[in-house]
Amino acid sequence: MSLELAGLGAEAFETVTPGQFAEFDLTGASLPSPEDVPVELRDAIERKILLRRPFSFSDVRIEDGRAIIDVLYAVVGAATVRMAGLKPGDEISVLGPLGNGFTIPVKKKLAILLAGGMGAPPIQHLAKVLAAGFKNIEVVTFAGAKSSDDMPFAVSDKNTAIGPAEFPDYGLEMLIATDDGSTGYKGLVTECFRQWLQTCEHKADDTIVFCCGPEAMLASAAKLCEAEGIECQVSMERRMACGTGLCQGCAVECGTGNSGQSVYQMCCKDGPVFDSKEVIFDL
Amino acid sequence: MKKDVNITIDFAGLKLASPVFTASGTCGYADELADFMDINALGGFITKSITLLPRKGNPTPRVVETDAGMLNAIGLANIGLEQFIKEKIPLLEKMSAAIFVNVAGQKIEEYVQVTAELAKQPAIAGFELNISCPNVAKGGVHFGTDPAGVRRITEEVKKAAADKVLMVKLTPSVTDISVIAEAAVAGGADALSLVNTFTAMAIDTEKRRCVLANRTGGLSGPAIKPMAIYLVNKVYNEVTKKSGIPILGLGGIKNASDAIEFMLAGASAVALGTYNFIQPARAIEIVDGIGEYCRRNGFDNVHQLTGALE
Repeated sequence: MSLELAGLGAEAFETVTPGQFAEFDLTGASLPSPEDVPVELRDAIERKILLRRPFSFSDVRIEDGRAIIDVLYAVVGAATVRMAGLKPGDEISVLGPLGNGFTIPVKKKLAILLAGGMGAPPIQHLAKVLAAGFKNIEVVTFAGAKSSDDMPFAVSDKNTAIGPAEFPDYGLEMLIATDDGSTGYKGLVTECFRQWLQTCEHKADDTIVFCCGPEAMLASAAKLCEAEGIECQVSMERRMACGTGLCQGCAVECGTGNSGQSVYQMCCKDGPVFDSKEVIFDL
Repeated sequence: MKKDVNITIDFAGLKLASPVFTASGTCGYADELADFMDINALGGFITKSITLLPRKGNPTPRVVETDAGMLNAIGLANIGLEQFIKEKIPLLEKMSAAIFVNVAGQKIEEYVQVTAELAKQPAIAGFELNISCPNVAKGGVHFGTDPAGVRRITEEVKKAAADKVLMVKLTPSVTDISVIAEAAVAGGADALSLVNTFTAMAIDTEKRRCVLANRTGGLSGPAIKPMAIYLVNKVYNEVTKKSGIPILGLGGIKNASDAIEFMLAGASAVALGTYNFIQPARAIEIVDGIGEYCRRNGFDNVHQLTGALE
């Protein structure tokens, strides 16, 4: 889905960074007819929705003073069913951009991007920003999904077990992993990344890993990066009621140095991107 | 020709710019909503609950949407009294709305200590006594469901509050809310706010587990509005009308019409809660909407709406 924003909305999105998000109000979007709704969601769509829903972006472009926001999403519940029913020309209220996106340290020489399942959109956005504006940083991307059908990126025949492939559009190297082996490496994307890292010449200090995906995948990447001494940023996901820090619902447990104590930070305001060393993952 | 409408109100001796508050736990500690609206047009602002010591709050999930509502179990997560005074009071000093601090605790002494310390702050107009939070193991509803307990805690905190306004927030999860309201008034409450969230539960049928980590949470949003209206009307008729104690009505308000319903039922002012999450500028739109309603219906003073139910 693409959203077009003019005026203030376009201005607000001019400086957006990959990993930031927006809250969409889908309460006014009409429901598709029941036969177009997957059976497992037919009960869910009868629920009257109330809250906004947070979405990150797979791309944001400014064209003729308008911001074009691409949103990749899966239909999983009462709100996304309504989103799928939006037609060209429909309007929704967008609150954003919100939160803190990925921080790109300019001195790094190698950026490794890990996308798991529906964690792909902000990674795609980040890949584009890196490819366009950080020519001195080599970028390698990894994408994982249950199977090739679940892969949100276009996958070409060139993807081999552990070998170079084209990242759609941006000309970046990409490696694919699927749980069932239907495309690329058979297994977890973090395991694919671990094996690749062993064969790749790199200096830990010059390398950074950016991650978005299921929490177990983020935890696994964080552990690997810590062992290798590589900086790692993870994009967290939590149930949110507001996205603006008001409700305090989207708590992410974070350590406080060596004290053994932990605090809850807010995914929406303090994140959603965190330094992986701060986060105590909820597994 | 349109008449000028006076939308300022007197609320327990406080002169307020409008009858619209933002409810505790839905508007942060201070100026978080300032990016979205002119917060000075608010009548009152109620902070997140403050406890003596910082509280980490509950594990996640802390929130879940339900039919036309949501459950929350934040667990009174807050920065604690000391940090609140240091960091938030300077921000609150700049706001013109009447500032109410929502005070919570596990023991009466804690409530008293927090209130006494904050009563020294000129920026604070009053306190909202949170004896009705459903999401902590001790305190909260535990205090708010026993009339003798309500009276005692109100008396103790009233002394600590000195010349500040003391508003007691009532839980709807009781057999007869008027008995509790009566106890709060007997204890010296200057105002009552009702209702807090309804204790509730949501279950994930696939996992056969409660959605919230705390298992139960407080239900808010449009789903509870008709029940909240009824309870405000009940307390107004049975308790506060005769004593002249004002009610701050809340529970599922999303627009001016909802706010007016609460006032007609007996509320002197209203608070917007869950809807701050969805439309963060809505509180001010409600101020305008109430004024417009008064003009259309020939009321020249907004307080005429209170209890105007025929």
